[in-house]
Amino acid sequence: MSKIICSAAIRGAHKIVGMAEEKYGEALKKWGPDQKIGFPNTTYYLPIIYGMLGIPVETLGDVRQILDKCKELVPPPVSDKVWLPYLAPALEAGMATYFAEEIIEAILYLEQPDFYTKAEDPLPDNIWLGAADDVIMRKRGVEFVDGTAPGFAAILGAAPSIEIAAKIAIELQEKNLYVFMCADHEGKTMSEQLIEAGVQVGWPTRLVSFGPSYRAAVFAIGFATRVAMSFGGIKPGDFKGNLHYNKDRVFAFAMPLGTVTDEWYANAAGGINWGFPTIADTPIPEILPTGICTYEHVVSNVPHDKIVARAVEVRGLKVSISKVDIPMSYGPAFEGERIRKDDLYFECGGGRTLGVELTVSKDMSEVEDGKVEMIGPDLDQVKEGDKLPFAMLIEVAGRKMQSDFEPILERQIHHLVNYVQGIMHIGQRNIMWIRVGKAVVEKGFLLKHLGTVMHAKYHQDFGGIVDKVQVKIYTDEEKVKEVLEQAKRVYKERDARVEGMTDETEETYYSCTLCQSFAPSHVCIITPERVGMCGAYNWLDCKASFEINPTGPNQPIIKGECTEPVLGRWKGITDFVNKASRQKVEQISAYSLMDFPMTACGCFECVATILPMCNGIMVVNRDSSGMTPCGMKFTTLAGMVGGGNQTPGFLGVSKHYICSRKFLLAEGGLKRVVWLPKMLKEEIAERMKPICEEMGIPDFSDMIADETIGTTEEEILPFLEEKGHPALTMDPLM
Amino acid sequence: MTFEVPKVSYTGKIREIPLGREGNTVIVGGESCYPFHLFEGEMPHPPKIAMEVYDSEPEDWPDTALEPFADVIKDTAAWARKCVDTYGAEMIALQLASTDPNDKDISADEAAKITKEVSDAVDVPMIVLGCGNVEKDTDVLKAVCEVCEGRDLIIGPVVEGNYRAIGATAIGYKHTVVASTPIDINLAKQLNILLGNLNVPDEKIIIDPSTGALGYGLEYCYSVMERIRMAALIQEDERLQFPIISNLAREVWKTKEVKVPESEAPLLGDMKKRGILIEALTAQCVLLAGADILVMRHPEAISLVKESIKDLMT
Repeated sequence: MSKIICSAAIRGAHKIVGMAEEKYGEALKKWGPDQKIGFPNTTYYLPIIYGMLGIPVETLGDVRQILDKCKELVPPPVSDKVWLPYLAPALEAGMATYFAEEIIEAILYLEQPDFYTKAEDPLPDNIWLGAADDVIMRKRGVEFVDGTAPGFAAILGAAPSIEIAAKIAIELQEKNLYVFMCADHEGKTMSEQLIEAGVQVGWPTRLVSFGPSYRAAVFAIGFATRVAMSFGGIKPGDFKGNLHYNKDRVFAFAMPLGTVTDEWYANAAGGINWGFPTIADTPIPEILPTGICTYEHVVSNVPHDKIVARAVEVRGLKVSISKVDIPMSYGPAFEGERIRKDDLYFECGGGRTLGVELTVSKDMSEVEDGKVEMIGPDLDQVKEGDKLPFAMLIEVAGRKMQSDFEPILERQIHHLVNYVQGIMHIGQRNIMWIRVGKAVVEKGFLLKHLGTVMHAKYHQDFGGIVDKVQVKIYTDEEKVKEVLEQAKRVYKERDARVEGMTDETEETYYSCTLCQSFAPSHVCIITPERVGMCGAYNWLDCKASFEINPTGPNQPIIKGECTEPVLGRWKGITDFVNKASRQKVEQISAYSLMDFPMTACGCFECVATILPMCNGIMVVNRDSSGMTPCGMKFTTLAGMVGGGNQTPGFLGVSKHYICSRKFLLAEGGLKRVVWLPKMLKEEIAERMKPICEEMGIPDFSDMIADETIGTTEEEILPFLEEKGHPALTMDPLM
Repeated sequence: MTFEVPKVSYTGKIREIPLGREGNTVIVGGESCYPFHLFEGEMPHPPKIAMEVYDSEPEDWPDTALEPFADVIKDTAAWARKCVDTYGAEMIALQLASTDPNDKDISADEAAKITKEVSDAVDVPMIVLGCGNVEKDTDVLKAVCEVCEGRDLIIGPVVEGNYRAIGATAIGYKHTVVASTPIDINLAKQLNILLGNLNVPDEKIIIDPSTGALGYGLEYCYSVMERIRMAALIQEDERLQFPIISNLAREVWKTKEVKVPESEAPLLGDMKKRGILIEALTAQCVLLAGADILVMRHPEAISLVKESIKDLMT
């Protein structure tokens, strides 16, 4: 596979090092070893040599040792009989190539001082800018570090036509990339093509015409090498640090347009050392496995209309979108808007028509980023008061995307659509409901713009896991039905997946320290079967949150050895809680109310506490304002639980956790529950059913007292006795 | 049995950070105990006071604050010189308040020019603070970094919204940054992690967890500062082991209490004395919470606080 590339690169390196040797010989004869050489206005000497080897080349005499180093690096040409080791020698050949080219270019500066303009812009009679001086490097390099310019495309050769050249340049500019141009293909160069097309070339437009020869590639690599030294604190000679810095932070790649010669191969091989892959328009062999570069190394035969998108993908560059481009205002301020009948222009879903929204992940090759399709009539084709079926299918792809994240992304549709001024969104999945106000239609908003919104916001908010987003919106009934069927299948699979996940099946749990700002010693431990007490973060949310923000409040914890299966204690969890609570909390039990219960912040949905007389547990939710049998209202109880304190007998829990198989396992689980507010009981009734059946008490829900039975222990006890509540005969709680 | 003072055992230490250009450096940080708990550990570098100067004549200051600077108020460089020569300032804090788009909105280049003049006029370490507008500060501080290359300024506020641009520029021109967060220990830590990821060297970070004036939420700011110190010293939280700066003067001198004349509020007492004491007390509080650098205004408040630092250090 890569043997052809490696052989060619090594051949190229031999030629280039030979040429450097020759130039050096001539120069030495002419000027002697004390002659100063170097690139203009830089304190980094010949930057690649200085960065990699730490050797400052100041005079012609200094060149000798570098050339010797080159000869050491360049491997012998690959013979037909050798089949094996290709990449490593090719990389060394590439490195030697750059050293040799820097020497040749430095001698060129000596021989023809005016060959390059040494300025930011081309001159009327000379378009070749040559090496960037330190002033340019600082000013432009900052952009690589702060993200305003993620990196550069090093283009070798020329496009087949000036139109294609201009199009590629514009596309790269749109991605905020610098375009570093060098080398010619059949006598033509990309730089000249752009100038011919009337495109302004120079550092200010980020289209940099470095030089006419392939050797000018060293100006691009030298630039990157200097950025690492200047902004990364990398010391000269720390080649490993420098190469890693570039791989991780400078999103650069080589894009050879035209015949790839041995010399080009040698330069491309050199670039791989820096983690810069090659994306070619010609059918050269490919190097697909990852290793040195983040993803593939050489990808070839890419059509010109796809080459920029492909390059961005191969280099792992993230798309950044700063503004949601729609004709309406957009932001959280519009989330709570209601569209009432009098303002209503159009609606869909909500039981009035079929409606469904679905986010699914696909393979990278199946998603075209930014594509929004509208299938069926849009708002400009409907009358006031019309209703149409509606389906929004969002397809995402990402190197770090997992199907587990689909529901998390899908759940965002609700607020993201609601953020549009004049649009109301309610519900989710196939119970979604959208209302569009009159003002929206007047301003020219279309349903299609919802796709624009989702594309922009997924990139903005979930850039860590999403690389590509395409959206299809359907108002055509047949198509909507198709999507609905697909959605129902997906929902079923998802629900089964979440259902099947238990604390035993996962080795990693997550922490949540989001609330440490006001409860400094509180640490939430979130397991598949114990949702965060706020109800807002389940295990999958935490997993995604960690992918998106690796330094954020949700950190993975390897749970380690289980020391107390019934109480819910694991070695890894204990250690983590102890440290993250700053030694305030010695340990916690994930499944117990009495024995080292989990601390709580203040955001819990419900409070669970004991009712000693009934030998049971009651749970009260935040929305319930009345008295409870423990003698305290929710607000008073909340004061007992919150603030990161461990108070045995009092616990903050989420509504979801009440119906978990791990709910207060140590105290006997759901069976212990003797009192719930009526509204809470009704809310969780559906989810309680299967648990009750598993317990062998299908009508258990009827045994639980509520405020209509009583709000003191004395009042509810006779009811529990009458119903034969199991808690009464269980082991004493205390 | 003799009484033994219970002692806290510390596991962490605040980083020592040298500020200013070579030959004229001031070192801050280095504590291995809570503020002034000298019976438990060391405070090798007593807290420093930076005197603030403004990039244009202040319009909303009470006369009591203007009075000491009346002769230099129109010339920022002269003002800075007076702070150093007359009042013995250990550091200067240049407040680029006029860059605020809602105020005079002076350009980044103009601000950089003023900064350069001040930086040439004094030798002591210099803090340069933008107006707090995320976008404008980015432009202004980038320009400042460029023209003051080699001066090793302390620039800020660097916030989550602009840490990349300003942080990167600061690395390139070798300045120190003030990582500024709104009264929250998690956000403070997060920003320090982000700056670390950006490759800003640890010895180039000072943190500003925000402060309010006495009577204006100071207790909350105090708690956060205190918590940061606790995390740094006894909880091994490496990303919080940085010296703290407290930009307090501008908070104090905009409050009603320093501006109301005695004639209107006789109960509040002498206006001059009142302003000085409020500033000094605010400073005293943040000192006890763990501040290493205090940005202060009134020379008399400063001398009160200096005296107190001296007392506490012996």
